[in-house]
Amino acid sequence: MSFFMAFAKWLQGTSWAMWISGSTWVYPFVQATHFSGLSLWLGTNLSLDFRLLGLGSKRGTAAQLSNALFAWNWTGFGIAVLGGFSLFASAATKYIPNPAFELKLAILVPLGVILHIVNQQKVKVWGATQDLPAVARIAGLLELLVWLCVVTAAVSIPNFDVH
Amino acid sequence: MLHFCAWLQNNSLLVAINSSIVLSAIMEVAHYAGFFLLVGTIAIVDLRVLGVAGRGQNVGTLGAELFPWMWVGLVFAFLSGFVMFSGDAADFYLASVFRIKIAVIALAVIFGIIVQWNARKWGQSPSISAGAKLLALISLVLWIGAILASVEVPAISGVG
Repeated sequence: MSFFMAFAKWLQGTSWAMWISGSTWVYPFVQATHFSGLSLWLGTNLSLDFRLLGLGSKRGTAAQLSNALFAWNWTGFGIAVLGGFSLFASAATKYIPNPAFELKLAILVPLGVILHIVNQQKVKVWGATQDLPAVARIAGLLELLVWLCVVTAAVSIPNFDVH
Repeated sequence: MLHFCAWLQNNSLLVAINSSIVLSAIMEVAHYAGFFLLVGTIAIVDLRVLGVAGRGQNVGTLGAELFPWMWVGLVFAFLSGFVMFSGDAADFYLASVFRIKIAVIALAVIFGIIVQWNARKWGQSPSISAGAKLLALISLVLWIGAILASVEVPAISGVG
């Protein structure tokens, strides 16, 4: 058995994970935690991406918007990861061989996070004034597309369940 | 109402979308992305009004930047939700947990609008009143309730 499957089997069998998978109300509550975290994380990410694309309120600069949303953004990430890990733990051996899950977690999410960190750092320069350079729009669009791919992979997970 | 549900379930455009794996996935993604945008933005304003975080930012300014995305999110979530609802309209309509979801969302939208209307005014006063905080708290709780009700729909009713 591969290392990941062995780890998944152990994780799934912990009493905490079994409490999640075994209860009718705990699992949806954990899902809701994941989605609440994602609301903050993706809500702020997408708001910044749209701003980089030149859309939305021009009341402040893009740099100011990014700064204002920074704490919410990473708090959301933390909650999303906590919820996500709990969801994973509850059925780990089912997720590991799932190609949609593999794509999402091994490639798309890391790619999205890296792009996001780059954008958050670069926007301090790109978005210092109201004139956004073309590269900022491309970067915003790219990050937006990656997050849409992440959500697509996530909703596709049930379609690739291996029984 | 059930006649309308039957009509939706037989509408050729809606059937075509719901039968297509690709288009169904697009509807799901639009629904999730839409509500993440919607709930994320209103939650931030609510938390700011409550004074939980972001106290360095003006409520009115924060709201002005985020409310357009709240509405964009709502439109995407509503339209995609309507399409997905149509696929199993009668089953959804008859499921009490789905009705609860819609009722909670309707209330949450109303309180979101109340927060939006008042945000600039609240930002202009030196401190935010208890009444304002109560409204923001209700708004926040309703949106979290909306998420909770939504994830319960497939779990309890078996539809979707």
